[in-house]
Amino acid sequence: MGKKRLTMRRKESIYGYIFVLPWIIGFLAFTAGPLVFSFAASFTNYNITSQMDFIGGENYKGLFTEDSLFWTSLWNTLYFVLFSVPLTTIGAIFLSALLNQDMPGIRFFRTLYYLPAVLSGVGVYMLWMQLLDPGTGMVNLVLSWFGIDGPNWLFDPNWTKPSLIFMKLWSVGGAMLLYLASMQGVSKNLYEAAEIDGANTWRKFFHITIPMITPVIFFDVVTSLIGGFQIFQEAYVMSNNGEGGPANSLLFYNLYMWKQAFTNFNMGYAMAMSWILFVIVFILTIFNLKLAPRWVHYEGEEK
Amino acid sequence: MKKTHSFILVLTALVLFLSGCAGFQTSNNSNSTNNNENNNTEENSEGKTVIDFWTFWGSEIRRPIIEKIIADFNESQDEIEVKHTFLPFGDIWTKELASIAAGDPPDVVINDINATALRGQKKQAMNLSQFLEQDDISNRFYPELWDATLYEGDSYGIPFNTDTRVLFYNKDAFEEAGLDPEQPPTTWAELEEYAAKLDKKSGNDYERIGFYPLWGIGYDVWLLNANGQNYFDKENNVQIDTAKNEEVLNWLKTWKDRYGDKVVNSYQAQIDSQQGHPFFSGDLAMIAQAPTFYTQIRDYAEDLNFGVVELPEYEEGNGHTSWGGGFVAEIPEGSKNAEEAWEFIKYLTDVEAQTYWAVQNFDNVANVEAAEAASQSSEFTEDGSMVYQKAVENMEQTLLTPIPVVAPDFSSLINPNVDQFFLGSMTAKEALEKSQKDVENLIKKNQ
Repeated sequence: MGKKRLTMRRKESIYGYIFVLPWIIGFLAFTAGPLVFSFAASFTNYNITSQMDFIGGENYKGLFTEDSLFWTSLWNTLYFVLFSVPLTTIGAIFLSALLNQDMPGIRFFRTLYYLPAVLSGVGVYMLWMQLLDPGTGMVNLVLSWFGIDGPNWLFDPNWTKPSLIFMKLWSVGGAMLLYLASMQGVSKNLYEAAEIDGANTWRKFFHITIPMITPVIFFDVVTSLIGGFQIFQEAYVMSNNGEGGPANSLLFYNLYMWKQAFTNFNMGYAMAMSWILFVIVFILTIFNLKLAPRWVHYEGEEK
Repeated sequence: MKKTHSFILVLTALVLFLSGCAGFQTSNNSNSTNNNENNNTEENSEGKTVIDFWTFWGSEIRRPIIEKIIADFNESQDEIEVKHTFLPFGDIWTKELASIAAGDPPDVVINDINATALRGQKKQAMNLSQFLEQDDISNRFYPELWDATLYEGDSYGIPFNTDTRVLFYNKDAFEEAGLDPEQPPTTWAELEEYAAKLDKKSGNDYERIGFYPLWGIGYDVWLLNANGQNYFDKENNVQIDTAKNEEVLNWLKTWKDRYGDKVVNSYQAQIDSQQGHPFFSGDLAMIAQAPTFYTQIRDYAEDLNFGVVELPEYEEGNGHTSWGGGFVAEIPEGSKNAEEAWEFIKYLTDVEAQTYWAVQNFDNVANVEAAEAASQSSEFTEDGSMVYQKAVENMEQTLLTPIPVVAPDFSSLINPNVDQFFLGSMTAKEALEKSQKDVENLIKKNQ
């Protein structure tokens, strides 16, 4: 009897593997393969077309000791992540809390705030470049109604990164939808019970809503952290010639890596850069996962 | 379960092994190219060899022009058929690179002239000396352009088109300010003097600005204009931190200080948006631009009474040095039809095709004879003819700034410092010193 069950299980697991096989092959060929190749090539002077000689840790050594642009780009990226991740998370939660009210016409507002998430890519960046124009842009025009002399946004190195963070805040609709869905899933019983106990709106929000949506917050923080480190397009499109903005203030890690790989053809060097970023993100994610049990609440979880 | 684990392990190893192979293959394929030339060629139904030609000319204006040139070539002989592939400007060179690495590149690609030597060094572009030994076409082109295609004395791309920078000025504004419209400024001092006369203020707002040196061109063009040479000499000595460069940067800053950030930024925005360009509306009296700027005047400001002149010189006798760039036609390393590709490139850069391109596109071409023929073309209007002739004349004093193979990204080390200078957080001296040091380090690292 026991033996038969085992074969059954084995059969099922074989079926399982057959079903996921396309994905496994895809992963091995298009993700794991290049991943390992890039690791190996990061110890070479690979330039895509003509050379691939082993040079040991030269690339890594050069990055840490001789390359000031590496540190600039790392700093720019950290700055962006440090501000954009918390701000967009809080922004999205705040927005979804507002849109979680029962009132006539709420569907209209939900659609409205979600719209920016539908629009994406280069078109949006172009639009924001016009909005943020210091002389003729809408943003400074609106600020001037309140007597505020708006900054030079994308032309002032101190304001370029805040400009991008500002733009990111505008498109929190995607994350907002996740929060909204999970807020709608919070059981009404909990709120009713709290009301009977005399809890006010704030207490309900902080002691019921927030704990109940922590799995989604966790997911959002992890993915936007990884996404934040990979910022590239925004800087490539929104700075003059894709150069990385005034005084290199938009030279993000991936932009610099791209320039090394495809304009200077230092592919090995760029691969070393990508592995450093990988390690940074990996450590942060592990850290996040370790920290998660302390604050993420899963319903029905056995302790 | 154990078995499946080992199965996955084997699979992983296999994939890694395969991807490893691909990696090494790319580094070898440069040797095998020439052997492949005669087998493996693609032929069409009529037995012609088909060659794939990649450009980024897909606009309504440019596409028909390049396709007409291709059609003419295809009709001119019965051995080769050129197939045009349009790729957007943002993609074309990364795609080319990937296809070279994959060992299956196109046969002719239009690429940036300034990085030709770098592509030669990295064996992306084919060494063309094997063809040039048989028919040397180097004297067709402006020497400055030809030199930019050389790496260790061999050419890796044939110049196709180019450009230069000239000064456009508004003749009516000159007259209004009491200046002779036939006597545009010839030195920097005159430029400043005229600009001041052309400024028109009402209250605190400018109704018209005479000139601002950093609209249309960058600080580097002014440095080139003053020095008459690039940052690098033949031995890769760097000349950035010089007294003259410091003076030039400070001079450029005086303009910024005079008009103020607000004015500069709001004009810049209008120029960038291309709607209501201040030069078209007469709000800006002079601007340094490429000659193709004329086509915008033609299309958006038909009635503008303007003149065009070489860039003013630093001081009398210093020379009106200008700056240009351009594109080459190159054969990617690994092309299977290099001989045929060469035939096409010869046609593409010969007088007939170049003249057609020049006249139809209002573009500077690399072929000297074609450029001169185009400047006499009866297809241009009076204004067009005037601008084109000036553009061709200006080629004599136009320098290119090809990327040195030992410092491919030098500009990303200089520009940020100069930005800091213009923003006021560095002095000119500091910015130049730091740039000099950074670029020297880069060269040391790459040598």
